[in-house]
Amino acid sequence: MAVGTGILRVPKEAKKGEIIRVQMVITHPMNPARKDPQTGQTVPAYHLTKLDLLFNDKLVSTINMGAGVSANPFIAIAMKVEESGVVKIAYEDNKGGKWEKTAEIKVS
Amino acid sequence: MDRRRFLTLSAVAMVGLTALPALKPAFGASKLEEEVQKRLGVALSQVKESPEVKLTAPTIAESGANVPITVESDIPIDKVEQLWIFVDKNPSPWITDVKLTPMNGRVFFSTRIKMGETSNVRAILKLKDGSFVMATKEVKVTAGGCG
Repeated sequence: MAVGTGILRVPKEAKKGEIIRVQMVITHPMNPARKDPQTGQTVPAYHLTKLDLLFNDKLVSTINMGAGVSANPFIAIAMKVEESGVVKIAYEDNKGGKWEKTAEIKVS
Repeated sequence: MDRRRFLTLSAVAMVGLTALPALKPAFGASKLEEEVQKRLGVALSQVKESPEVKLTAPTIAESGANVPITVESDIPIDKVEQLWIFVDKNPSPWITDVKLTPMNGRVFFSTRIKMGETSNVRAILKLKDGSFVMATKEVKVTAGGCG
């Protein structure tokens, strides 16, 4: 998969006021800046820096990260839902890449 | 100066010179403490361990490249502001920080992190009243995952 491809998973249905679990996996190498032990050349850092979790365009959480997070980061976070709507994640890396991913949830 | 005094003096000087660089790191702040000071704005010694923060991590991780950790807390979400995760002995101890809002419902965060060697993992929560609480767990790493 190409770098930056994301999978966002939320339950299809939930009760009003329920606390759901939002899970996501993003394809990204998450390389720290380091020296190659064989060639001695510096390999530049390439990792995600920021991820916003939004619900109906309202900011729920901001996650800042560095290269300390594993490659192809998996993140799970809690969220309370009061109404039906769209869950969106917007994430960016240190080389200017920006992506978005949405998922819908029905609340009864 | 006679020969005996010259010898003792030079011996003392030699010991002093060789021991000084080795002693230096003990006086300077460690990388973790610097990072905590920079990111949180307070010293690590002011962060208190609390049983209210639950940090779940494996006791022994087979690979340091993928260590699953989960942070949970029963502290009401409207009293919590932010969450940090640090690994003591990583080349860069700061892993991630999460800004939480009442829309999160409760404190729950799970991810996978890299660890260079066996060390402590710390989860620090900042509360609305400005205080910090922390949970610490040691994870043994058999194969490092940095680089």
